[in-house]
Amino acid sequence: MGHRIITRVMRYLNLKETWVILFILGFIMLNFPFIHVFSTPGRIFGIPALFLYLFLGWMISICIIYLFVKAIDHVDKDKGEQS
Amino acid sequence: MLSIELVTGISLLYIALLFLVAYYADKKKEQGHSIISNPHIYSLSIAVYATSWTFFGSVGRAATTGPDFLLIYLGPSLTAVSWWFLLRKIVRISKENNITSIADFISSRYGKSQWLGAIITVIAILGIMPYIALQLKVVSTTFAMITGNRGIHLLFHEGVSLASPHPGLFAALSLAIFSIVFGARRLVSSERHEGLVAAIAVESIVKLIAFLIVGVFVTYYLFDGFADIFSRLAAKDPTLYLHLTTLGGPGKVSYMSWFNIFFMSVGAIMLLPRQFHIMVIENSNEEHIKAAMWWFPAYMFLINLFVLPIALGGVLLSGSSSDADYFVLTLPLSSGHHWLALLAFLGGFSAAAGMVIVESLAISTMFLNHLVMPVIVKLKPREWFPILLINLKRFGIFLVIFLGYLYFRIVGETYMLMNMGLISFAAAAQFGPALLGGLYWHRGNKAGAITGLILGFLIWFYTLLLPSFIKSGWWQTGLLESGPFGIDFLKPTELFGLTGFDIWSNSIFWSMFFNIGAYLACSIILSQSDPEKEQVRKFVDIFETEREEVPWETKRLSKPVTIMQFVNLMEKFIGAAQAHIAIAEYLGEREIDEKGGVSEFELPQLKRFTEKTLAGSLGAAASGAIVESFLSDLGSKMEPVFDIFSTVRAELSESREALSVRFRASILMNRTIDLSIIMKELLDLLRNEFKFDLAIIRLKQNNGLLITESYSGTEIPAILEREILPDINSFIGDAYLSNKPRFINDTRHITKPESKDLMEREGIRSFAHIPITREGESPLGILSVFSRSIIGLFTPPLIDLLSSLSGQLAQAVRIDTEMVEKERERQQKEQALLENTRVAREMEIARQIQHSLLPAAPPELPWVKFAARCVSATQVGGDYFDFFRRGDDLVDIIIADVSGHSVGAALIMVEARSFLRAKVHSTGSAGKMLATLNELLYEDLTRAELFISMFYVKYNAERRLLTYANAGHNRPFLYRHRDGFCMELDAEGLILGVKREVTFEEKSIQLQRGDLLLLYTDGITEARNASGDFFGTDRLCALIGEVYNEQPEQVVETILGEVTAFTSSQIAEDDISMVVMKVL
Repeated sequence: MGHRIITRVMRYLNLKETWVILFILGFIMLNFPFIHVFSTPGRIFGIPALFLYLFLGWMISICIIYLFVKAIDHVDKDKGEQS
Repeated sequence: MLSIELVTGISLLYIALLFLVAYYADKKKEQGHSIISNPHIYSLSIAVYATSWTFFGSVGRAATTGPDFLLIYLGPSLTAVSWWFLLRKIVRISKENNITSIADFISSRYGKSQWLGAIITVIAILGIMPYIALQLKVVSTTFAMITGNRGIHLLFHEGVSLASPHPGLFAALSLAIFSIVFGARRLVSSERHEGLVAAIAVESIVKLIAFLIVGVFVTYYLFDGFADIFSRLAAKDPTLYLHLTTLGGPGKVSYMSWFNIFFMSVGAIMLLPRQFHIMVIENSNEEHIKAAMWWFPAYMFLINLFVLPIALGGVLLSGSSSDADYFVLTLPLSSGHHWLALLAFLGGFSAAAGMVIVESLAISTMFLNHLVMPVIVKLKPREWFPILLINLKRFGIFLVIFLGYLYFRIVGETYMLMNMGLISFAAAAQFGPALLGGLYWHRGNKAGAITGLILGFLIWFYTLLLPSFIKSGWWQTGLLESGPFGIDFLKPTELFGLTGFDIWSNSIFWSMFFNIGAYLACSIILSQSDPEKEQVRKFVDIFETEREEVPWETKRLSKPVTIMQFVNLMEKFIGAAQAHIAIAEYLGEREIDEKGGVSEFELPQLKRFTEKTLAGSLGAAASGAIVESFLSDLGSKMEPVFDIFSTVRAELSESREALSVRFRASILMNRTIDLSIIMKELLDLLRNEFKFDLAIIRLKQNNGLLITESYSGTEIPAILEREILPDINSFIGDAYLSNKPRFINDTRHITKPESKDLMEREGIRSFAHIPITREGESPLGILSVFSRSIIGLFTPPLIDLLSSLSGQLAQAVRIDTEMVEKERERQQKEQALLENTRVAREMEIARQIQHSLLPAAPPELPWVKFAARCVSATQVGGDYFDFFRRGDDLVDIIIADVSGHSVGAALIMVEARSFLRAKVHSTGSAGKMLATLNELLYEDLTRAELFISMFYVKYNAERRLLTYANAGHNRPFLYRHRDGFCMELDAEGLILGVKREVTFEEKSIQLQRGDLLLLYTDGITEARNASGDFFGTDRLCALIGEVYNEQPEQVVETILGEVTAFTSSQIAEDDISMVVMKVL
């Protein structure tokens, strides 16, 4: 069951469209008005909200790219097994 | 402060270490073990993106403007998302085309335009100037800071007074030498520099570790963690805190500017010449891109983690943001941690050196290939060219660095680090439209790319570079304040009245607007040239064309060039050794003909290979021009093959025209079976469709000659009337004997003198001979086509098509031959049948005549009754019986059988009958009668090799006396009514025709009332049944015993019926005749 969900997610991640959407999403989230929301003097855990947002988002995006890369390998492997 | 000697010594040691790494990597590569060919080294080498701008400038920006320093790294991290598609495509294209730089890449895409390459190179050289200056500024400033000296002259022996050079000069010189040693030892630019990449990777590690250590030191040693720094600044200077941590609003980073810097950064990671070089040219495996996609953002993340703490910490400690660019160095220095400061210096030096080396290498390659080569290619190639070229490349490195130095001298002190870097980013952004459009848009063309680039560059120059000079006091400030000639509208920093933008946003907006606008407009309005179209396929469809490449050439060389000529050309530019390695690699997988050449269709490929090999050193545009001029020196050039199939498309294995010709040919071949019509119509079709001047079909005759059977087009007797005995010395004979198409695309280059003369005389430019043959069979003839106007007419698809049509024609010829054969056979049969019928009719007549010669009815005599019957097996036979009545009571009865059933037998029988009729009244006894007959017929019988058996009976009805003689005939049966048994009548006598004089015994027997005599021929007793048994005398005898009481006529019927029943379906083999006589 779990394996099937993973395979499915991997397949979505391997679509070119998903990559384009991610790129566009990243572009939007890093610009006005998204960052305007976080452009406040307040601090979370002692760190300015804007920086926390940018760094956390950065970290998450790196993880997502990592998953994407795994998805490419995964599907490549699937294809290899099928053929 | 540290002593100059120490800092210089440590720096030299560090450089020595890098050389060692590079040397090791190069050595390893020579042994075949690449240490850099792995995803981690690749990712680290991409981190050459982080220069001293990152190392020092980010902190400066963070301390003065705020969060927008992060955008320089967030942008590339986002771009990395697209790498699997975008970067991989660029890498694939570059590998396939031996691309050497971004200028080469873009100019190749747009038809290998030399102009485009030159424009990009100029933009790159000027655009990157501030960036190089930035590095030089950092190195010289930090060196001065760490040693506490502002001048470099102290390096030299004390007391010797030398003019103090600018501090940047030393940095520029050392970096230039460094770059040359690493990057320009050899010429081949598309080859990877393993040593260089290894050194860059080490530098990336050093600068990251150095920065992290300084960051941890500031955050956790000087302060109490992140939160501590932020809260202390917020408490000490809330306005500054707000200024540095939020966006929008007066005095802060505007959203427009934020977007603009982000936009430039997204592009810069791909478009900066050194990034393109390290990511594309130095890439050893596409798979490495996958790892780099998250390794590189992670690296960027780490190196930025401590920027803000250092910046704010610096502000807190020093009390102001001035000189914030060097906090990374000054914080450890001022807190007395000199070794840490030295580490920071090395980190910054690493970052700067890595950038300068790769950037100057990338740009000098462009400089050589796109600015110098266009001049060089005009010259005649010489032996010393390789040396000249490599030195020109070294000069290019110097040039790039010293232009940077010059800029540093002029502008250096005016701008902060990041601001200088952004000028370069804006320049690199100009490449974006042409590059992206070139990758994904088929229509994008050279005119658009050139116009867009020039417009973008001019605006960039006017709005960014020029103001930077003006601000540094190098030129009059009036231009900046009130616009040229006082025209406010054209003020560089507020172009076209656009106010409220920062200078970069202003510049980027207008330059991109005109760049993209011109690119799109020109691409849509103007069309692409042929060389451009060819390149578009190679670029945009790189992943598609892998599978569906056009299977044949669309170009040919007008005059054949040998392999050696190509090798000689390559030697002049890349040296003999490399040229030989390259050609060996190329030829390894190909067939070479007996003369050491390659086939005509292979030549364009060889030409392209030469171009590609040269492109690896000289760039595509220059190598294209070199090969072109080389060919024209030889009197050869690439020309399109005559495009018979105007709608050839890569995705169709066969064009519509070819299919249509095939279709029409098959229609006309099926419409009729008349070969001459088929041939004529096929030739007409071919001639009309392919513009041949003459098309001929020759078929092989029984005498082995190939003779014209049909032709279409201009009558050329010298060709048409040739009767060719196939031999290997003529093209047509060669085609016939080898059973392969032979064609000549340009008759001027024929080697067979006889053909050459003929073709010259008749003005034929190209021709082809196609064997008319079915798969696996020997040819039936030759299809020849000639053109007087078109050179290079015969392409693989056309030859294929002609061959296939010839195959169909062979089928038609074969069918025709078979039909002729069949027709002849049929006629023969008909003739024979006719003959048979005629003979049969004659024979029928003969039979009728023969039958009419037999007595129509037996004679009527008192006290005796006759019945007789003759059933012939064939039309005419040799059986004969007769009655001769002599007076009231006497009758002669004869039965005879001529051997055989031929007409001859019938004639003899007739002859015998005539003799009998003549002699029967004059001659006396039965024996005498036979003897006379024998004597008369002997000659004729001997000559005809025939015999007659005959039984002669004389019967006196009144006395019931039977006298008989036998000439070898079957002995007749006599059934004695009184005794109730069957006896055979016999008498001595030889068969007629054996001896001339024979005496026949004559016997007599007294018959009684009720006796039955049966005279018969052997057709009865020798009748056979299915199992091969004879009817036999016993069976006949028994039969007579049963029926003797019946009337003679009835007896005849019964015997016949029995014999027929006995033989059942068997056809009577012999004539059956019998005469029955019953005594009353």
